[in-house]
Amino acid sequence: MSADVSDAQLVHRCRTGEAAAWRELVDRYSRYVYAITTQGFRLREHDAEDVFQEVFTRVYDRLDSLRDDSAVRPWIAQLTRRLCLDRIAAERREQPADELVSPEAEAVLADLDESFAVHEALSRLPAQCREVLDRFFTRDESYRTIGDALHLPPGTIASRISRCLAKLRSELDGRSVAV
Amino acid sequence: MAGSDYLDLRLGEFLDSLSAPAPTPGGGAVAALTVSLAAGLVTMAARRSVDSWSDAPGVAAQARALLARAGPLAQTDADAWHAALAALEEPRGETELEERLAKAAEVPLAIADTAADVAELAALAAEMGEGTYRGDAAAAAVLAEAGARAAAKLVGLNLTVTADDARMVRARGAAEAARAAAARALDSGP
Repeated sequence: MSADVSDAQLVHRCRTGEAAAWRELVDRYSRYVYAITTQGFRLREHDAEDVFQEVFTRVYDRLDSLRDDSAVRPWIAQLTRRLCLDRIAAERREQPADELVSPEAEAVLADLDESFAVHEALSRLPAQCREVLDRFFTRDESYRTIGDALHLPPGTIASRISRCLAKLRSELDGRSVAV
Repeated sequence: MAGSDYLDLRLGEFLDSLSAPAPTPGGGAVAALTVSLAAGLVTMAARRSVDSWSDAPGVAAQARALLARAGPLAQTDADAWHAALAALEEPRGETELEERLAKAAEVPLAIADTAADVAELAALAAEMGEGTYRGDAAAAAVLAEAGARAAAKLVGLNLTVTADDARMVRARGAAEAARAAAARALDSGP
């Protein structure tokens, strides 16, 4: 199963009991959930693992309650966030859970959400776009290096990257918004 | 001036440190910052051109990425220079000395590569961008060319680099690409 399968399609297949779809759902969101627990809420490793297990157990048990199949990402994010707060509140019983999220943590969570959205949008781009964007923005390769690797004139790389960024923008604009 | 990041200094402080007798910041750091300035100009010119040039947002994003790539190279260059100098002055193994000198050559090479890419974007912005800002883009192309040529010269001065060394060939190629891009930028527009 590839990234071409939308979230809504994936959720639908999970509901029919397709084991491969469930594995894909966990695979697609595992890093996201783990990042929220460790980077957003800075849970200790064993707490993060507990929350991770609990999140996907609840997703499995409650998938039928999801009203909009395309909104699975914000649903999982909200579920993870709540379980993280419960975990922290259990350790600091005197503090209301809502006060446990610092502005810094909120900023990290917003960044994670944006990063995941970009990652998702990237996965829907043509392979040649993914490669050229990865080489330039992630690996910091020069136009000449990229051109040599892809057998393209270096002078065409910048325009190619611009076109791929425009496609990425379109994918991001078309994404489902949080519920 | 080693140990503090040049990007954290006020401009006046950096200029003071530049004219001080200390060996760094030197040509490599200034080349890196010149390329950063050029990338900033291209970013601005492209952002001002989004209404008339479809590739402008993508060019702005690339120029911003190159700015982020070039700026830290100023400090990296100074740090590598100090490390190489220390290896030359202190009795160390030949392997460590060569490693440090090679590392010192890698930094200006990265500056030259980045400069060539900034010059290419600057040429595109000078040719396709909003008319009012084409002059800024042309200025950016010339600055990027200067950064590329300066960096290529520094690669050639490294003790581990010979005239036919692959690093020297690459540095010269970057400088030549930047020169060609700057020429396009200067020839474009009204």
